[in-house]
Amino acid sequence: MSALSEKKPILQVKDLRTYFYTEDGIVKAVDGVNFEVYEGETLGIVGESGCGKSVTSLSILRLLDEKGKIESGQIIYKGKNLLELSEDGMRKIRGNEIAMIFQEPMTALNPVYTIGDQIMEAIMLHQKLPKDEARKLSIEMLRKVGIPEPEKRVDEYPHELSGGMRQRAMIAMSLSCNPSILIADEPTTALDVTIQAQILELMKQLQNEYGMSIIMITHDLGVIAEVSDRVLVMYAGKAMEYAGVRELFKNPKHPYTWGLMNSIPRLDVEYERLNAIPGTVPDALHFPEGCRFHTRCELATDKCRVEEPPLEEVAPGHFSACWHVDKLEAAIAVQREGESA
Amino acid sequence: MEKEYKRMLRKFFRNPSGVFGLALLFFFIFVAIFAPVIAPPQPSNKYEPYMMPIVTWSPDPQPPSKEHPFGVSERRDIFYGVVWGTRTAFRIGLIVTGVSTLIGLFIGSISAYYGGWIDEILMRITDIFLSIPFLIAAIVLTTLLGTGLDKVMIAMIVFGWMGTARLIRGNILQAKEEQYVLAAKAIGVSTPGIIVKHLLPNTIFPVLIQASMRMGSLVITAAILSFLGLGAPQGYSDWGAILNYARNWMLGAHGEALKYWYTIVFPGTAMVLFVLAWNLIGDTLRDIFDPRLRI
Repeated sequence: MSALSEKKPILQVKDLRTYFYTEDGIVKAVDGVNFEVYEGETLGIVGESGCGKSVTSLSILRLLDEKGKIESGQIIYKGKNLLELSEDGMRKIRGNEIAMIFQEPMTALNPVYTIGDQIMEAIMLHQKLPKDEARKLSIEMLRKVGIPEPEKRVDEYPHELSGGMRQRAMIAMSLSCNPSILIADEPTTALDVTIQAQILELMKQLQNEYGMSIIMITHDLGVIAEVSDRVLVMYAGKAMEYAGVRELFKNPKHPYTWGLMNSIPRLDVEYERLNAIPGTVPDALHFPEGCRFHTRCELATDKCRVEEPPLEEVAPGHFSACWHVDKLEAAIAVQREGESA
Repeated sequence: MEKEYKRMLRKFFRNPSGVFGLALLFFFIFVAIFAPVIAPPQPSNKYEPYMMPIVTWSPDPQPPSKEHPFGVSERRDIFYGVVWGTRTAFRIGLIVTGVSTLIGLFIGSISAYYGGWIDEILMRITDIFLSIPFLIAAIVLTTLLGTGLDKVMIAMIVFGWMGTARLIRGNILQAKEEQYVLAAKAIGVSTPGIIVKHLLPNTIFPVLIQASMRMGSLVITAAILSFLGLGAPQGYSDWGAILNYARNWMLGAHGEALKYWYTIVFPGTAMVLFVLAWNLIGDTLRDIFDPRLRI
C-alpha cells in the first residue's frame, strides 16, 4: 500500500453522517463513513441497495432533498470543507470541480433539449464561453466519448439515442468542464453487458487522458475489480472494509466482503446451488445493535450483538470493522484448501 | 426544438377543428387590426375611436339598414361597436390571461419546488382566493376600485391565477423527482435556472392549453361584468356593453318577441365565435400534447 499512500488525497470524507428525517423516524442512511480519494485514482464504493452508497455521493455534492440532512462530518476537497461552503460556492464546485453521472441515462437527460444544448449549458455556466465556442467544444466532447457523427448528434434529442449513446453523452456533459473528480453512480447498471464493458473502458481511457479521480459507486464486484484502485465496502450505512483493490480481493478481512465474493458464480468450482448471504438488508429505520451485519453473519458471537466493532487497520492500509478477523482468516484458509484439493 | 415544433405544426393542421378555430381566430385578428378601415371613426370621434358614435336621437333601436348593417341600439351603431369591440376582447383576453398565467406560474412553481412550509402558505392563500365566488369578488373589487374596463381586468387577474398555480404545482411536483433535475443540479445550475430552464419546459403545455381555453371564457366574464354595468363606460366599444344596451329591448315589443333581435344577436354571435375559436384551438393543442395520443 505504500505506493498508494505517496499520492495526495484530493478528497477526504471524515466521519460523514447523513440522516433522513421521515415521518416514520430517522433513517441513518450514512452513519460515520471515512475515506479518501487520491489524485488520478478510482475509489470504488460497493454495497447492496440501501447501504448508503448513493447517499454518500449525493452528500459530497450536497444534493440531498429537503428531508436529508448532513448531521456531522467533514468533506474536505482541496483543503476546503465543502459542508461549510455557501450554496453559491457549492454551485461553482458542482459540475466544474466535481461532476456526476447517473444510473439511468434514459432519464438523466432532459427530454426537451438536444444533447448539444445540455452539454453547452454546463460549459457556458462554468467556463463562460460564447455560444459558438461552447458548441464546438460540445462536438469535441461528443467525439471524445466515441459518439459517431458528433456534428449531427449534437442536434439530436435524447430519445433519438440508444442507452449506451446517452450514457456517453452524459459522460461528455460531465467531463466538459474538466472536473477533478467524477462521481459515477452505477453508470453501467442500466446498460447491457457489452455496452457496460465499453463504457467502463471509455471511463478508464478518459481518466488517463484527463487525470481526474473517479468515485465509482456500484453493487457489482466485477466492475469494482476492473476499474478501482481502492475499495470501500459499505453495509447499512457503515464502512465495513476499506483497502486497495488487490489486497481486498486477495485477503478479504470482513465476513460481508467475503460473503459478497462467494456470491459471485465461478466457473472453476462446482456448486449444488449458488452461494448467497442469508437474510436481507435490515430495515433502515431499525438497524440492529452492535455490528450491523451480525444478523446475517455466520461468524457472529454475543460480542457482535452488543458492541459495534470500530474500523481498524488490520493490515497496512487495510481497514476492517470486524471483531473476528482471525476467525474469518481461518475460515477462508479452510475454504481455499478445500478448493485446491 | 426545430423538429418538434414542425411536427406539432403538422399535427395541428391535420386537425380540422383546429384549422377552423385558427381560421376564426385569424378572422378576428384581421377585424381587430383593420377596425379603422372596416368601421372608420367619424372625424368628431377621431381621438376616441373606441367610443361608439351616436347616430340618431331616437331612443328606440333601429333594425339593420344600409348605413347601419347591424342596426342601432341605444342610439349607437352596433356594427361599429362589434368591430371595435374585437380589439377590446383581445385586449382583455391577452392581458388578463397573460398576467394571471404568469402570477400562477410563479406561485405554483415556487410552491412546488421548495415544498414544506412555503408550499403550505402559498397553497392556503390559493385556497382562500378559490373559496371566494369569483363574480361576487369581482363585483366587490370593482366597487372598491371604481368601474371601468381596466378595473374589471384587475379584478379578473386578482381572482384568476389560482387554476394555473394549482396546475403547474402538480406538474412540477411530479417532474422535480426526475433524474434530469438532479443531473442539472449536479452541473451547478441555480434554482431559478432549474425552474425556468428544466422544469417549466416539461410542465408548461397543460398550462398553455388551459390559458387558450380561458382566453375565450374571460371575454364572457368581462361581458358579464360589463352587462352588470361594472365594466366599460357608456358608449365604449365592448361586446358586453352592447348587450347591456339590449337589456330594455331583450323581451321584444308587445306581441313581437323578436322585434329587436339585432340588439343581441350580433354582439352575441361575435362573442360566441370568439370563445369557440379559442376553445377549438385549446382542444387541438391538448390533442397534440397529450402523450397518450403520441405514437
